[in-house]
Amino acid sequence: MIRHPLSLLFVTFALFGIARAEDLVPLKLDLPRPLFVGTPKPVQLANLEKARTGRRPDFMVPAGTVNLAKDKTVTSSDSLPVIGELSFVTDGDKTGTEGTYVELGPGVQWVQIDLGISAKLAAIVVWHFHSQARVYHDVVVQVSDDPEFKKDVRTIFNNDDNNSAALGAGSDPAFIETYEGRLIDAKGAVGRYVRLYSNGNTSDEQNHYTEVEVYGQPAK
Amino acid sequence: MEAVDANRSMPLRLDSWLPLIVILAATLFARTYDLSHRPMHADEANQAVKTGGLLETGRYAFDPLDHHGPTLYYATIPIARLRGETNLSSLSELTVRLVPALAGTAAVWLLFWLAAPLGRWPALAAASFLAVSPPAVYYSRYFIQETLLATFTLGALLAAMRWWRSGVWGWALGVGVFAGLMQSTKASAPLFGGAAIMAWFVAGGVRPSSPHPWRHLAIAGAVALGVVILFYSSLGTNLAGLRDALLTYGHGLQRVSASTGHEKPGWYYLQLFTWQRNGGLVWEQLGFAALSLAGVGVALFTRGKFICWWAVYTAVVAGVLSLTPYKTPWHAIHLVPGLTILAASALAAVPRRWLSVGLAIVVGALLARQTQLVAFTRGSDARNPYAYVHSAPDVMKYRELVETALARTPDGVVRVIGEEYWPLPWYLRGMPRVGYWSSVPAECDGALVFASATFADEVRTRLRGSYRENYLGLRPGFTYVVFTPQVLSEQK
Repeated sequence: MIRHPLSLLFVTFALFGIARAEDLVPLKLDLPRPLFVGTPKPVQLANLEKARTGRRPDFMVPAGTVNLAKDKTVTSSDSLPVIGELSFVTDGDKTGTEGTYVELGPGVQWVQIDLGISAKLAAIVVWHFHSQARVYHDVVVQVSDDPEFKKDVRTIFNNDDNNSAALGAGSDPAFIETYEGRLIDAKGAVGRYVRLYSNGNTSDEQNHYTEVEVYGQPAK
Repeated sequence: MEAVDANRSMPLRLDSWLPLIVILAATLFARTYDLSHRPMHADEANQAVKTGGLLETGRYAFDPLDHHGPTLYYATIPIARLRGETNLSSLSELTVRLVPALAGTAAVWLLFWLAAPLGRWPALAAASFLAVSPPAVYYSRYFIQETLLATFTLGALLAAMRWWRSGVWGWALGVGVFAGLMQSTKASAPLFGGAAIMAWFVAGGVRPSSPHPWRHLAIAGAVALGVVILFYSSLGTNLAGLRDALLTYGHGLQRVSASTGHEKPGWYYLQLFTWQRNGGLVWEQLGFAALSLAGVGVALFTRGKFICWWAVYTAVVAGVLSLTPYKTPWHAIHLVPGLTILAASALAAVPRRWLSVGLAIVVGALLARQTQLVAFTRGSDARNPYAYVHSAPDVMKYRELVETALARTPDGVVRVIGEEYWPLPWYLRGMPRVGYWSSVPAECDGALVFASATFADEVRTRLRGSYRENYLGLRPGFTYVVFTPQVLSEQK
């Protein structure tokens, strides 16, 4: 995997006052190479959102924004995954091959990242499983300062249109997994913990996470 | 090693039968437990809908293009009637899958008797291995022809073995019945007859004990022909089926010689019985394979005719299946009986009983563990080598959506628009106003519209109403877009 220490660059720029905190800069993402394992099946998938040509448009974030989730502690509703480790979720490896994703059991499952400190979040990028085109059901992303997610919970993404995950119905669009991951606008939500739900996918009943990146700045 | 007298080694005391009864009970349990849980594969659904037609109308016509023989459908009818299911709507997954489940259980019983010449306890070991074999269990819970064919083959082989040794014409009759059932199940049946004859030549077979072998063979042939005519003519109601039973070989040749997307390398079946790792899951039968290989060594070393016959028979079937480019994992079950008998012969050759029993327990336990993964924990997982192009669990969600849509729009139409849509006709069976289009129709609006991802853009442009969109899977890599009318969604 190609790695660019862009996050360090951002930190360096911020430290030396080259960019002011309120300036907006494009969020730089380190993307794995496209990966479709095996002989492609004779199927094409449409996007609910209009299929995009070219690369994803820049997502503007405040200067000094960094990935706060890297190597942070991950917990889950499935504490003993059959395949992979929970630490894979924040280890920075997004290749999507065997040994880089964690597989949680069937039904509604979640992973939770402890950022260590409360932070103002700009974006969350999630890669569930991108070696096959598939859609994960009932993707819900929440932010809170409560590790139990019982109070002050802010939902920043919810595509569970029929409330089958029992977290409330949402109107965000379902999306097909790609190597680019799904970039979710965190809209400045503040919290120490980020929890991501899913409820199986269009290929099987399991829930997978290759990587989750949480971009933001420590809350002042 | 030479075969022992089967009758001498099979005492008639009840307690001596207890192990076999326990094995058969376990076999039945493994083949019937939670039988409806796994989503229906497209092939299963297709055949179940065909069976529903036979159940409803009493009519059936053999289709030489896309379907195998009729026995599977006819065998389902009495079970459906016993369970009070009289039409396609009431027909259930449990009912249709009971047919291969019962056949798979009978196969274990037949194999026990086929292995009897090895002695009583090796025969029990062979039966145990088949009882917990991953492919045997998986496809005994799967509504396709393969398990029926494997069971009828074992029946034919057992009858032939008994006739060969006793010369009693009734066993020849049995050979005819089972051979006829084999042919009426799948056109590939002659492969197993040919392999059996070839193995007899190679193993240096003895002459049959019947004083009138040709007369008996003629009886068997006539009975087999009668059975074939009965089934392919749809019990005399469709004589064209007899012609089609021959035409199917032309279509079959095209299938095995043309590119169908099911071509696989020559070592495909070998890999199924050894080791492979896929997506973090390991699929292996190494212990069983090693024991079967040891059985081949026993055959070569002892030159016993019985075990040599099984070694050659299994090798011929494996060779033909492996050399044929068209491969599917369900063909693997035809290798299991031979491999179990070879494994049992290896156990019989172990000088210490405690050691051979211990080996059998370890290998059986490893097989059972794999079977749990293959048939229960990961029954429809795309990484499961036996779950071949399998339907996704999402297919079980379609019916509820359609019921809701039709309840809220009593005069509405549900449209399924896709180049592939099986097994949805099974899951939406008996529902009114559900239509299927293999190309995008001019009128796309409906109470609910399922459009394959390929057609979704075109469908979207033709929809006049306002729809909310979501996804449901058909199988890994094939997804449907669900268009739900906004009015309907707002009411929810």
